[in-house]
Amino acid sequence: MNVLKVNGKEKTFAPDKMPATIVDLLKLLGIDSATVVAELDGQIIERANFAATALKDGQSIELVRFVGGG
Amino acid sequence: MASFALKLSKSVAGIAGLGGLGSNVAIALARAGVGKLIIADFDNVEQSNLNRQHFFIDQVGKSKVECMTENIRRVNPRVKVEGHKLMLAADNIPEIFANADCIAECFDSAGAKQMIVEMVLAKMSGVKIVSVSGLAGYGKSNDIKTKRVSPRLVMIGDGLTAIDNCKILTAARVGIAAMHQANAIIELLVDEIQI
Repeated sequence: MNVLKVNGKEKTFAPDKMPATIVDLLKLLGIDSATVVAELDGQIIERANFAATALKDGQSIELVRFVGGG
Repeated sequence: MASFALKLSKSVAGIAGLGGLGSNVAIALARAGVGKLIIADFDNVEQSNLNRQHFFIDQVGKSKVECMTENIRRVNPRVKVEGHKLMLAADNIPEIFANADCIAECFDSAGAKQMIVEMVLAKMSGVKIVSVSGLAGYGKSNDIKTKRVSPRLVMIGDGLTAIDNCKILTAARVGIAAMHQANAIIELLVDEIQI
C-alpha cells in the first residue's frame, strides 16, 4: 500500500488507486482547487502547478482551505 | 519586557484589507506599539460596515485607508502608517509589502485569501503571513483556533463557517478571529523576527 500524509493524517492507497497529482488528490477529496494552498513536504506548490506535481508514496501534504468572510 | 516593547517598536506589519479583520487588527497592533503599519484597501467606509468594522458613523463615505490612518493616530500617534488606497493583487502585493516582517491577510473572498497566501509563501521569502478562514456566524467562540501550519504560515478560524452560506457577520465573532490574528502577529514579531 502507498501512504500519503494529508494534513497530518495518514491515508493509504492501493498502488493503482494512488492519486497521481495534487489535482487528482483534490478531486478525490472533493475540494475546489481555487480555494486551496498546498505545501508538499514543506514546499509551497503554486496552484498553477497542481496538475503537474506528481505525488509519491510517503510524502506529506498540507492542504489549507479558505472560506469567505472577513 | 523592555525587549518586548523594543522589538514591536522596530517591527513592520502589513494589513491586507481593512474590513472586519483588518480594521480591528490594525487597532490592536497600534495599541501594542508596533512601529509601522502598512495598510491597504480600495474601498470606502459604508454604513453596513459599522456592525463589525472599526470605523465611525461620521466616516461613512470616506476612504477606509484615510479613516484608519486617522483612527490609528488617535489611538497611538507614535505608530507610522503607510496607506495604500488600491485593489491589492498578485502584481502589487510583493512591492507594497516588501518591507513587512509579517502580513495579516484580511480579505473577504476565499479566492483572494488563497491568492495572497500563495503569493507570500512562493514569492516573498522571509515574510510570514497570518490568514483567517472561517469566522462567520455567532457563538461557538472556542471553535476559532490558531494553528501554525508551517514556518511562515499561521491559520486562524474554524475553517468552516463561510459568509457565502451563513450570511451573518458579527463584531463579536469576527473580533475573536481578528484578535487571534493580532495576537499571532505579535508573537511572531516578538519571538521570531530578527531585528
